[in-house]
Amino acid sequence: MNEPMVTIRFDGNGRAYQPGETLSGEYRLESIRREDVKAVELSVLWHTDGKGDEDLAVHDFRRLSAEDGDWIDARSPGRFSTVLPKSPLSYQGVIVKLRWCVRVRVFLARDREVVGELPFQLGGVPAARAQES
Amino acid sequence: MSKPHDPDPAPNPFSARHVRPGAIRFRFPAGKSAEGLLERLGQNNWQGQIVGPHGSGKSALVAALIASIERNGRRACLIELHDGQRRLPVSRRRMSAFGPGTVLIVDGYEQLGPWGRFTLRRFRRRRGFGLVVTSHKSVGLPDLFRTTTSLGLAHEIVRDLLGSEPSPVAADEVDQPFTSHEGNMREVLFDLYDLYEQRRVRRQR
Amino acid sequence: MARSFRLYEKKRGNRRTGSRKLGSAGEAVFFAALLLLGCGGLAVLFATWVVPEWRANHQFARGICTVLETQVGEKQGDDGALYRPEVQIEYEIDGVTYGVSTYDIHTVRGGGYGTEREDAEAMRRRFREGDQYIVYYDPSDPYVAVVIWGSSWPVWLSMIVPVSFVLIGGGGLVYSVSTWGKSAERRAAIVKRAAQLDPFSGNGASKPDFPHVPVSTNITDSPGTKLAFRLPVAGSPAWALSAWLVACLLWNGLVSAFVVIVIGGFLEGSPDWLLAIFTLPFVLIGIGLIAFFLRQLLVTTGIGPTLVEISDQPLQPGRRYRLFLSQTGRLKLNRLELLLVCDEGATFCHGTDARTETRRVCEQPLFRRDDVEVAGGVPFQTECELAVPAGAMHSFQSGHNEVTWRILVKGSPARWPDFERSFPVIVCPSVNGKSDR
Repeated sequence: MNEPMVTIRFDGNGRAYQPGETLSGEYRLESIRREDVKAVELSVLWHTDGKGDEDLAVHDFRRLSAEDGDWIDARSPGRFSTVLPKSPLSYQGVIVKLRWCVRVRVFLARDREVVGELPFQLGGVPAARAQES
Repeated sequence: MSKPHDPDPAPNPFSARHVRPGAIRFRFPAGKSAEGLLERLGQNNWQGQIVGPHGSGKSALVAALIASIERNGRRACLIELHDGQRRLPVSRRRMSAFGPGTVLIVDGYEQLGPWGRFTLRRFRRRRGFGLVVTSHKSVGLPDLFRTTTSLGLAHEIVRDLLGSEPSPVAADEVDQPFTSHEGNMREVLFDLYDLYEQRRVRRQR
Repeated sequence: MARSFRLYEKKRGNRRTGSRKLGSAGEAVFFAALLLLGCGGLAVLFATWVVPEWRANHQFARGICTVLETQVGEKQGDDGALYRPEVQIEYEIDGVTYGVSTYDIHTVRGGGYGTEREDAEAMRRRFREGDQYIVYYDPSDPYVAVVIWGSSWPVWLSMIVPVSFVLIGGGGLVYSVSTWGKSAERRAAIVKRAAQLDPFSGNGASKPDFPHVPVSTNITDSPGTKLAFRLPVAGSPAWALSAWLVACLLWNGLVSAFVVIVIGGFLEGSPDWLLAIFTLPFVLIGIGLIAFFLRQLLVTTGIGPTLVEISDQPLQPGRRYRLFLSQTGRLKLNRLELLLVCDEGATFCHGTDARTETRRVCEQPLFRRDDVEVAGGVPFQTECELAVPAGAMHSFQSGHNEVTWRILVKGSPARWPDFERSFPVIVCPSVNGKSDR
């Protein structure tokens, strides 16, 4: 059996969105048995990168838990849809970068986790350059 | 006007989350290991100091040591002191829960004032917990390890960070910043971050 | 990515290297212990203080007693002798005569001691032997009687400690349980929901219009005289000046004590040369501090306040705004300029270093004039236009990272050091969500 993994795809294969637009898509659990899945969490979040310590904030969060009686079918794709906020916009700065992504975390039996992530761009802010002093 | 950036540009391999202590595996010299250090710690009545200059891997070594301590059934409690922190950010009540099965690790021990050090060591004697500290110079505890850096080690770390993907920065470009920062790997990696960003921008133009 | 997690690993700082559950369990146990301690303390306090006082004040019956004798009772405590007033009384209830030694409910229960004998004496003197007073007694046990009643404030003050334990322990336990074994994304989602429930969030709205864009109320609360808003200056020079004044006074105050001794010795004909030589460098530093302070005072008062006003706030990329500048003082400036700048700020903790680094990513000149003369009482004033670059990144603030926009006023006085005054502004994303280009 291959390594368990999560694949994510956006509707229309889009990767760039504007604030207020609907981000939708699906995720698939691959090489994962249904009986092994304890819970699935889907997050639409942004996190920072660069020279500073990482900050993270979740815009939308869904959790399906087999323990709570939610039906999780590892063979069928899961859908997601959310309206994107007005800020913060994706930013490719010099020492501060801000990235948006959809992250799916699958909790498996025996305390294992599988994580899949697909970045997308929110807004149209061009990359920044350091000013020469 | 430049176009919006690629939503998935290659991350800078020298960004904070890749180079923080613990993110970079500590490389033991030949004949040394975390288990060996633990054994030495036990022989020294569970107290010791890790001494080394800035950016020489003390915090990375602490990460490796913690894992070893807990594999051996003891509890590790890490306190990181930053610039200007003269007192331990932990109450006596919490320290009262420490016992002989606990090893308290104070990263940045020299930030503590003389009174803070005195009370900590007195408390340690009363409660019997272990104490490992990191410092830039000896603080009078038995030596556990002395961290150093070398150009070869710097090359190895940078190669690991760069991985196999093509990069605007080459591993051997570490020589100049290593020399100018006198072996301080933290500053070397910061410089390489800036170099990577500058070269990436030039490529995009 | 799939990996198994080792059970016994430790959380370090804000990074996790292994099992969260064990770390959360430890936290929960610690807070539960605090909560239990607080509850126990409160229970003891209620049982020994609050309840007896309440019963004496509300459930005891009233009678009349005769004071037979008064005295100050004494016992040995851990730190010395303790004293309390004791009043021997006699009273009759339903034909039965009772004689007890009492004062208030705490005395009856074996306490009521204090460290000061004088206080006990003063309390004892409130009662005179042979006189009659009101007595309150327990109907179920008439031997329990008091001649002083009411609530004592130390009781309520002493509740602060167990109550704080309960709050900290209870709050921490709730937090630990609610974040037990949860992923980083789930914890962040919980924090976000809690923030939205905050009744004191700006303008009473549950969601900010632009998340993680700083609020501009600090700016929009200050109307301008020429344009709509007056921008607040970051870091008023008055604070720096006050700090130098305090340092100057403290240093010279201490040193002057030694100077007085040294001079006194010389005047009396018995000079202390050692003390004089020791004091000299400190005196020189003190004089240097005074000189530096006076120079800063001249610079600050000479340069005068800088006012900047703007036609609208918050700003948006691609839009144009009017700026008004007023510079007061009494000085000649080789150069005066206005700029719009954007800086990135990143804070990181590496080992024992906690540092913040900034990088300028935009610097746009707005106004520049050479050879400006600012006369006393007549401020230099000018207006100019500000165009926020299209597609500019908006203002952003998170725990360790930020993008800030500011208007900078830079001046090069003829005889004094250059000055720079900073006026923060907020840039929001474009209303239509697109970068205006």
